[in-house]
Amino acid sequence: MTQTVTVKIKRYNPDTDKKPYWKDYTIELTEDKTVLDALEEIKANQDGSLTFRRSCRHAICGSCAMMVNRRNTLVCTTPLKAVVNDGGLFAAKNTVTIEPLPYLPIIKDLVVDRSAFWEQYQAVKPWLMPPDVVPEKEYRMSQEEVEAMEQAETCIMCGACYSSCPVVAGNKNYLGPHAMLKTFLRVMDPRDQVPEERLDMIANANGAFRCHQVVNCIDACPKGLNPAKAIATLGKMSLRSGRIKGERAERMKKLIADAEAASSTN
Amino acid sequence: MSDPIVHDIVIVGAGLAGSWAAMVAAREGITNIGVLSKVHPLRSHSGAAQGGIAAALNNVRPVEGTGPRGPLEQIPADGEPVDSPDLHMFDTIKGSDWLGDQDKIHVLVNDAVDILYEYEHMGCVFSRTADGRINQRRFGGHSAPRANFAADWTGHVLLHTIHEQCLKHGVNFYSEWYVLELIVEDGITRGVVAMDILTGELHTINAKAVMFATGGYGRAWKITSNATANTGDGVAVAYNAGVPLMDMEFVQFHPTGIYKHGILMSEACRGEGGYLRNGNGERFMENYAPDKMELAPRDLVSRSEQTEIDQGRGAGDDKQGIYLDLTHLGREKILQRLPQVREIAMNFLGVDIIDEPAKIQPTAHYSMGGIPTDVNGQVIRNAEGEPFTGFFAAGECACVSVHGANRLGTNSLLEASVFGRRTGYEMARFIEGGAKLHPITNPDPTKKQRERIERVMDKHNDSQAGRIAPIAEALKWNMTDNCGIFRNEEKLEKGLARIHELKGDFTKARVMDQSRRFNTDVLMALETENLLTFSEVVVAGALARTESRGAHSRTDHQKRDDTDWLKHTLAHKSENGEPVLSYKDVCIDWEKYPPQERKY
Ligand SMILES: Cc1cc2nc3c(=O)[nH]c(=O)nc-3n(C[C@H](O)[C@H](O)[C@H](O)COP(=O)(O)OP(=O)(O)OC[C@H]3O[C@@H](n4cnc5c(N)ncnc54)[C@H](O)[C@@H]3O)c2cc1C
Ligand code: FES
Repeated sequence: MTQTVTVKIKRYNPDTDKKPYWKDYTIELTEDKTVLDALEEIKANQDGSLTFRRSCRHAICGSCAMMVNRRNTLVCTTPLKAVVNDGGLFAAKNTVTIEPLPYLPIIKDLVVDRSAFWEQYQAVKPWLMPPDVVPEKEYRMSQEEVEAMEQAETCIMCGACYSSCPVVAGNKNYLGPHAMLKTFLRVMDPRDQVPEERLDMIANANGAFRCHQVVNCIDACPKGLNPAKAIATLGKMSLRSGRIKGERAERMKKLIADAEAASSTN
Repeated sequence: MSDPIVHDIVIVGAGLAGSWAAMVAAREGITNIGVLSKVHPLRSHSGAAQGGIAAALNNVRPVEGTGPRGPLEQIPADGEPVDSPDLHMFDTIKGSDWLGDQDKIHVLVNDAVDILYEYEHMGCVFSRTADGRINQRRFGGHSAPRANFAADWTGHVLLHTIHEQCLKHGVNFYSEWYVLELIVEDGITRGVVAMDILTGELHTINAKAVMFATGGYGRAWKITSNATANTGDGVAVAYNAGVPLMDMEFVQFHPTGIYKHGILMSEACRGEGGYLRNGNGERFMENYAPDKMELAPRDLVSRSEQTEIDQGRGAGDDKQGIYLDLTHLGREKILQRLPQVREIAMNFLGVDIIDEPAKIQPTAHYSMGGIPTDVNGQVIRNAEGEPFTGFFAAGECACVSVHGANRLGTNSLLEASVFGRRTGYEMARFIEGGAKLHPITNPDPTKKQRERIERVMDKHNDSQAGRIAPIAEALKWNMTDNCGIFRNEEKLEKGLARIHELKGDFTKARVMDQSRRFNTDVLMALETENLLTFSEVVVAGALARTESRGAHSRTDHQKRDDTDWLKHTLAHKSENGEPVLSYKDVCIDWEKYPPQERKY
């Protein structure tokens, strides 16, 4: 017995369409199909104009983040059968909805424009700034130190956190969770020589102090990372180093405490 | 006609090879560098590498007396080294089945240690030993633990680090630009024709030096570990421009791709101690490589698996699978060393490798052949090694050749890094040595490509137009069935005939998407044409090579034949479009590393 699935895809080509619209496709549901396989199948057999990004097919390149049943998802590793009928109370049966990441300009169909995202990433100077004199071999570092960085090191820059963030949606100067996660990585790195400068870069109204700890980013991250906690930690570090004073410091302390409470449940 | 974009250096590809070259050339003072990539640089396939990067750092050693699969420990300060570039060299030569050029391998292994430390100083977060050094694990075909790793996301960490360095040094990236043609006039490389994918517009880029670092060509097979971008564009585009391709018949099949999907379960699974079992639960490697068992090199393990499957001892309903059993490693080790692999098995198989074995099968993985170069990335045009002026290549699309007939795991991240870096220096020297900008004399350099695109987009004349996707699909099955792990004359003849048919079908096929903007339908058509182009070279080379060596295994010629075949294949595109084969000597140190039988 084969089961069919209705795949509802939000389509939009800014050159020819006034606004985005939904289009339905029907495909067969099989055990080993991923959501990406479904998109590939539709493109190959039904509608070659359907446009999406993908590359690695196993959740490491960050190309394929989009909204499946209104959740940020890497479609390459999501089994189709896991999201059929997962669309919430009011969704039609045997249906999956696929949309581009929210809040970002749509280039075409499921492809979004991440240029602002990349600009913010570059703005925090993501590269390591080591001391002038480097050791002959490697820097010594403990496995614990490495693991503390792993939370940030394994970010694949898919943009799910960024596009789920209401602060980003409202303020294009906000650095965004991804850029601050990168900052966190460098601040935590014992090899980096400029943690203070990095804290300065993010300890302002476009950085850590703009974060409202809505913590959407935690839910959105398909890799299970916790940018909100990293941002809160950075905020806390900069407070401790005496950068922020008075009322703002008090507010920050509260935000950090809230964030820690929220993120410790994760 | 818009004016051409002009650069000193244009690099096509932003994986490890291209990014290293760009970073180094920029550091050397060349300010006008453009790097094109059809996917955002951080989406390049290098980021998908899992297991490790080879270098004889001598940080760990096997615990004495525990055998080749026993535990490892850090080497104490006063401990004897267990590894050396020489040993790395011998393993690589043996792994290559003596087809690797020994002078080139010498460079690879001697640059290795230094490049690892450079990575570390630039910020790579490697896994650590108890005393804080870079941790190492075992990998197949290496006789010492020399796979340096960051859990099982090594490639991700390396790629992000080198990309950050490129940004630091002010490299210009053209993200999501697709290169269609290498412009060569009077034997001199002058630039490329590229499409800005976002707008669909074609541009001419004029440069003093062009480098290809476009990665591998595994997408010509149905079951493959490769990213969708790995369509061998670079090799096909170079070949179309008159550059010969070398050793294209050598394609590596990795033993542990996820069943039916091909997604990789890193060799680190076996490096950390995993077992392979057939459908009857037997550890069959004892019949094929009693000493090395699962840690024999990839060609041998893949053949062993395929033999088990072909003889009816496969796993699963259709008996086409093999089990990768990690359950004895224990939860803690799996979580610390193989977290990504665990996630992959859960997503694709619904299996937690902590409790259950995963079903796998051999998968097309790595392209040993490619654009022939010297150790500094200079592309050569013939067996005499004459240079192709202004054209450079490195990484998986190049064939230096350090992997010969079979690559050892972890040697390719190393290759892309070492030769990417050397190419960066070489191009900087080339520019600083007064290289001229040779203008493009063709008044309409994008014409040919424009026509190619117009043809596949042509809505008219579609009474007999077919679709592109089925052609690509048919090609992939054809390569899997007729030019896979085991080959013979009959299959290869059939495979070649089918490719000719599909090329014919392609001339009649059309795309569905008629828009200019971000037209991935057109891109897939161009990629499919490239797949057809180089696949013909792969099969023609495999048909001619009547021996079995490394990954090229002929059931009708089962022995390695050093008398007739200890040589590299070079394929030139002829006037009528078909490949013409010639051969080039392998560089061998007959005193030190003469060919031996390859036993594990
Ligand atoms: C799943 C997997 C795991 C692996 N694990 C390991 C490992 O553990 N250790 C190891 O040593 N090796 C490993 N390898 C092999 C290794 O990752 C690759 O050989 C290596 O990363 C290749 O690097 P590269 O720079 O040559 O190419 P890539 O990283 O593939 O980059 C190619 C670049 O070229 C660009 N490009 C291609 N065509 C065009 C075009 N037409 N126009 C514009 N741009 C173009 C792409 O956008 C990309 O930027 C693995 C490979 C796979 C598939
Ligand atoms: S395709 Fe790479 S993350 Fe999904």
